[in-house]
Amino acid sequence: MKPFANIQNQYADLKKMNSKEKLNFWKEFLIDNSLYILLFIAILYTYFQNHRFLSTSSVINMISLSAANLPIACGIAGTIVLTGTDLSAGRIVGLTACMSAASLQAVTYATKMFPNLPVVPIPLVILMVIVVGGIIGFLNGFCISRFKLHPFIVTLATQLVVYGSLLMFVMVNGNNGQPLSGLDDSYKKFISGSILKIKGVPIPNYVWYGIIVVAIMWFIWNKTTFGKNMFAVGSNAEAANVSGVNVARTTILVHTLAGCMYGITGFIEAARIGSNTANTGLNYELDAIAACVIGGVSFVGGTGKIRGIVMGVILLRIIFVALNFLSVNANMQYIIKGLIILVACAIDMRKYLVRK
Amino acid sequence: MKKFRKVLSVLLVSAMAMSLVACGSSSDSDTSDKTESTSDANIGVFYYSYSDTYISSVRTALDSALEGAGIEFQDYDGNSNQTTQNEQIDTAISQGVTALIVNIVTSGSADASQAIIDKAETAGIPVIFFNRAVAPDGEDGDVLGSYDKCAFVGTDAPEAGHMQGQLIGDYLVKNFDTVDLNKDGSISYAMFKGQEGNVEAIYRTQYAVEDANKVLTEAGKPALVYFDSSNTDGYQVDQDGNWSATAANNYMVTNLAQYNESNGNMIELAICNNDGMAEGVVSALNDAGYNTGSGKMIPVFGVDATDAAKSLIKAGKMVGTIKQDAEGMAACIAALAKNTVDNKDIMDGTDSYTISPDISNKIYIPYATYTGE
Repeated sequence: MKPFANIQNQYADLKKMNSKEKLNFWKEFLIDNSLYILLFIAILYTYFQNHRFLSTSSVINMISLSAANLPIACGIAGTIVLTGTDLSAGRIVGLTACMSAASLQAVTYATKMFPNLPVVPIPLVILMVIVVGGIIGFLNGFCISRFKLHPFIVTLATQLVVYGSLLMFVMVNGNNGQPLSGLDDSYKKFISGSILKIKGVPIPNYVWYGIIVVAIMWFIWNKTTFGKNMFAVGSNAEAANVSGVNVARTTILVHTLAGCMYGITGFIEAARIGSNTANTGLNYELDAIAACVIGGVSFVGGTGKIRGIVMGVILLRIIFVALNFLSVNANMQYIIKGLIILVACAIDMRKYLVRK
Repeated sequence: MKKFRKVLSVLLVSAMAMSLVACGSSSDSDTSDKTESTSDANIGVFYYSYSDTYISSVRTALDSALEGAGIEFQDYDGNSNQTTQNEQIDTAISQGVTALIVNIVTSGSADASQAIIDKAETAGIPVIFFNRAVAPDGEDGDVLGSYDKCAFVGTDAPEAGHMQGQLIGDYLVKNFDTVDLNKDGSISYAMFKGQEGNVEAIYRTQYAVEDANKVLTEAGKPALVYFDSSNTDGYQVDQDGNWSATAANNYMVTNLAQYNESNGNMIELAICNNDGMAEGVVSALNDAGYNTGSGKMIPVFGVDATDAAKSLIKAGKMVGTIKQDAEGMAACIAALAKNTVDNKDIMDGTDSYTISPDISNKIYIPYATYTGE
């Protein structure tokens, strides 16, 4: 009932204001929510241009495309809350995707990477990618906190290390950099199969996994000491340290958790796309960072909500789909995406300055 | 905890140092081993990107071909960056390489390739370009003719497009009525382009449709129709320029959300610039219940004949692809490299290859269609 009470309070405040204050209130309201208003207009516009935009299958498609991008965005958001960033995310997704694919190729597949390997049980593979992602994340966090390096530099370096390992991995056993595909049916079903249909349109399973990840991350961010510490360190590391927060441990944990999320993304992407090469995951971090920033996870540090990240991810995907439904030229798509990120950041910074 | 961290950081640093030492010593021993067995020939091989699937198979084949010929060589990864590649070439020349084998990053740019030829000419060493075009179509004679110790081994960029178009046309003439799902008398297609501004992508995108239409018209059938009439480009392109399965998959699932059988406007044919994109499309179709090996199938065509695509074709999930002969190309490059080592003319003994009619030092490795038969 809290949001409802909030709205009531706001409404009461609004009634107390005089006309000038009211005008100001609405101006602020419009600017603060301009992104959502623009999004709403964009959805309406696309819908009137092409009615199929809001058909069941199209809406489910937008939800699934967003769900696939949720884990990586939730992971990277934590590093942004710590005023950092993570450039290694995409490559970790690539490495874990290729590892998942290699462990779960059908035994009958002609060019199986490890011909003698049986289909590994799925829970074991999930554990493996989470551990691998976690270890790389741990290394990131460790170097950042131990050597007091900027996360940009550390993850720039680990990104290269991971890419090199990935290139070696796809060359092993005479695979010669060929795409890893021919995945086992159980794996494909586990990810892109469906247990629920709406109006005959199946909802792929990875949507549920995305939702589970979001729920877990929401719990970690809002209900645990670790989550509170993360925001404390992000707002002011010195102050957090003085008040007894273990800054180094928090940093390491945030990055480790992020790494685990990339592992999960890799596991989902491998089966969703069905073909995995050394290029899998390339530039994924950029979309994820953009989604976080659009959703109000600020590079200033210490602010951000899971709700915002989900909105950011969905917004980016809606834009992608809408531009396709409107048959907008590819060149224009870059410009539109760039402008959206710029506007989102400007609004975000404005809020921060006002608060200050 | 504190002690643990100290120990861990010491371990980390020492591990890094160890790996550096290990790398250094192993390459040292490599060089000394090889210099004993061969002459002072040492060739630099420059790849545009290690992550490219097709180039990876050329790399494996070329590595073993050069090793087999007893030629010492070193591989470089240009990482899709022409500046990086130029710097690698400069470094290699200053180290004293005796020949360059270059898979140029900026495909189809006469300036980029001329710059490399100039470097080679100044150093007085031969240069063999391969796979990626050295100049826009029809202008490569000027570049290749500017230096007598240079050669090009590649494919005729438009050929893959022509062959793919022919393959699609033939398939459609045979199966027109099954492919035309909504029975409107014409076939709607989707086209997935690998990269903007790449000659191979441009020709494949153009000729695959043009040639297929030619075959269809000759057989008295209507031409192909692009599924989205408001898209004037007539294709969807990987915005990162990676020819990636992910891009094709994202486009295809989005397309299928509004173009499907229940709306009576299903995409009836998918043409892809390479097999990676074809795989992404097949995966999207699988999710919608098509191309599972039995039941309804939307014909999907690619280029490259990767192992993955061949398996899809064998499983009946994809129709055909155009084979790029990685081994053939590697063998030809290795033969030319051997010529440079033996101080023969660079084009010595290449009569068995298809040589361009206009340019005497341009060798074509032909494409071949692959439909699983």
